Amino acid sequence: MQTLNRRDLLRWGACLAAGAGLSPWYGDVFAKGLDQLASHRVKVLWLTAMSCSGCSVSFLNTQDPGPVEVLTELISLVYHPVLSAIQGSDVGKMINELTSKGGYCLIVEGAVPVGIPMACQFEGKPLTDVLPEIIRNARAVIATGTCAAFGGIPSAEGNCTGAVSIREFMEQQGLTVSERLVNCPGCPTHPQSLLGTVAYLIAKGYPPVNPKLLTPDMYYQHSVHDECPRFHYWEKEVFAEKFGDDGCLFKLGCLGPLSHTHCPRSQWNGGANWCIRAGAPCTACTSENFAKSRNFPFYRKSEKYYAVNYTEADRKGVS
Amino acid sequence: MSSTVSLRPLTRIEGHLSVHTETEPFNENNDARRVTEARCEGEMFRGFENVLVGRDPLDAQQITQRICGVCPISHGIASVRAQEMAYGITPNHNGRILQNLIFAANQLQSHVLHFYHLAALDFIDVKAILKYSGNDRTLKALQDWVTHAVSSNELFPVAPFLPQWEADYVENVDFNVGLLAHYVEALNIRRLCHEMGAVFGARLPHSTALIPGGCTQVPTEQGILAYSSRLKQIFSFIRDVYLSDLIQVAQGFPQYFKIGRGCGNYLCYGVFLMDSSGAKHIRPGAVIGNRWEPLDASAIREEVSCSRYQATAPLHPSRGETVPDPNKHGAYSWIKAPRYRGQVMEVGPLARLMVNYHDPDNTAVKQEVDVFLKKHDVALDQMKSVLGRHVARGLEAMRIARLAMQWIQELRLNEPPAEEFEIPKTAVGAGLTEAPRGALGHWLEIENHRIKRYQCVVPTTWNCSPHDDQGHPGAVEQALTGISIENPSQPIEIGRVVRSFDPCLACSIH
Repeated sequence: MQTLNRRDLLRWGACLAAGAGLSPWYGDVFAKGLDQLASHRVKVLWLTAMSCSGCSVSFLNTQDPGPVEVLTELISLVYHPVLSAIQGSDVGKMINELTSKGGYCLIVEGAVPVGIPMACQFEGKPLTDVLPEIIRNARAVIATGTCAAFGGIPSAEGNCTGAVSIREFMEQQGLTVSERLVNCPGCPTHPQSLLGTVAYLIAKGYPPVNPKLLTPDMYYQHSVHDECPRFHYWEKEVFAEKFGDDGCLFKLGCLGPLSHTHCPRSQWNGGANWCIRAGAPCTACTSENFAKSRNFPFYRKSEKYYAVNYTEADRKGVS
Repeated sequence: MSSTVSLRPLTRIEGHLSVHTETEPFNENNDARRVTEARCEGEMFRGFENVLVGRDPLDAQQITQRICGVCPISHGIASVRAQEMAYGITPNHNGRILQNLIFAANQLQSHVLHFYHLAALDFIDVKAILKYSGNDRTLKALQDWVTHAVSSNELFPVAPFLPQWEADYVENVDFNVGLLAHYVEALNIRRLCHEMGAVFGARLPHSTALIPGGCTQVPTEQGILAYSSRLKQIFSFIRDVYLSDLIQVAQGFPQYFKIGRGCGNYLCYGVFLMDSSGAKHIRPGAVIGNRWEPLDASAIREEVSCSRYQATAPLHPSRGETVPDPNKHGAYSWIKAPRYRGQVMEVGPLARLMVNYHDPDNTAVKQEVDVFLKKHDVALDQMKSVLGRHVARGLEAMRIARLAMQWIQELRLNEPPAEEFEIPKTAVGAGLTEAPRGALGHWLEIENHRIKRYQCVVPTTWNCSPHDDQGHPGAVEQALTGISIENPSQPIEIGRVVRSFDPCLACSIH
């Protein structure tokens, strides 16, 4: 690309870092990664498994750099099922060729149905048959969204497809997870954490992650509760009793203490709003336990109706 | 000789769809084929209805939004409506307006995304950018990229724009470059629609602010300003760019007013509450063979003889079942086959237009549509086509943007954003609304304060349904029958017909 110069790249890197409240050091790293992406040295392959495409749509909500820069200048997105002009049997051929060449950065959105393999197909075959080879030849794998990262709603209690996360699928298939798979959870994933993680991976290799969750520390270290703008209400024990009230949202069901993410710093949709600011309890959509248990509802309104089997400590995230 | 022409996978839609057509030759001088039969295969099943059983009813509007990342708000609204019926409440004034505003933002987002980013590449010759001689920064960047990539023998140049199939594109450079420029502009407009929805919806996709009875956020002056300033930009884009691009594409590909007619039956549940009576701005109804009738939701049945579920008699969704049987004999899709009075129905913007056009009590829509049709010399019957669906979507975007401008002025500052409610021990509810892609219904049964049964019948379930128990093909399958395919190895015509329905596969199966 001739039109993108070093100053543009430094600017986008700096914006990407500043947007999530990261230090300027990250800005330089991101700029380096974006440079490699923009010059097509690293290609990105995006596949959808059992997903709603919400992470794809969320990715298109990226700001600074925006979707225009990302799609037409920064990322060589060799294939994206929702956006690519390519269609029909050409898709399979293209993915085969890309897989045999290797070296691409693979982004997977959605969980994988190991119980009913036919519940997610690619070219009429179970995705579980074709995915291992695509993963094996990737230089890095990013599981975007809570479905891909932790199984999410498709693997919630009561599911009948045996859906699992990408990590569990890789382990079952004997594929190397260590230093290769990064989880970027969120339902959907925030565009900043996805783009930043891709840029970091390319510039500096595998990022520092939470050893248990494989989530990059730069985005998923602090809880919503720790950085909550309503934290002062919590300290003073001023609680919202009904929707629309001021006060800490804990008694309405807020799971901020269980959600580790950069939402309080980044907010959503270019800063237009975000859950806590809108008085909406955090649903801990980045948590490994998001939506998993029937007996752990998002809101607390029903506690009076039936015996709950979670404790206050479960909700507060203290063990 | 009959042969199968397939589009597997069909990209630039939401989700996993393959289309297979049986074809016969019809022109002796070339390879062109005519479709005699078509099959839509929905290829991804998650089992949302099963996951919802046993949960707190209040989880439903959060969980069901994850059925679809393109139209989460529609599922949120359908779920909220079903719960409101079960709880015996209606949204208060602000709650209704806030829900309408969030909903409108997402509908506009979806329509813009569909036309520009999903469908338009079927009608644009991307390589025309090589002949661009203007000075727009983005277009020049795109031009450099295409030039470089085409000459470099790269394996997959200029994704996601290329490689694309050779086809009967319009040769005019300005036509193609203009549409490409608007594709790029629409990326920002689509994002702006989501920002606008987030102003009251907390964030998009997957709003956390939507609750039965309204919304979690008290409207403020800043919120109203933030919404309306974005709406103005979006409104101008729809009026000045989107609608004129539709007309250009229609003039460039007039044959598509005759292609992809479909079943000719239309179903609409209505959407956007006007007041607490349940009346809706876009009105419900059905049109079967040009005859309008009021909506009778009890006439819906889901059939599964060609779907990968355990066989049952046709069931109303309030008694619906979802027991997977992936290798069932004769089944070829994870999509069920919903029918209305046993009839195949089309849903979506065209269905909403047809139902409201033929509604005897709704002269406003008829007038508006007649003015447009007369101006562009299109007959109402021609609207039953690929182009008709695109045009109906564009006209609807305009109508929704206008309505949103009214609603934003009706918000009452610092008044409660939601109606209070209690969850009954036992109750049933049905939430009927319209997603961008058409009629959407959620049916809910509560027992011991928990969900006992939850069933969704989604727009693409109607449109992309497989054959039913009687062997009647679904709406898209019917629209494909009879079309001709110039080059069977690049069946771009199949994609154009199917995309005009704006299918969402994650939705259709859920």
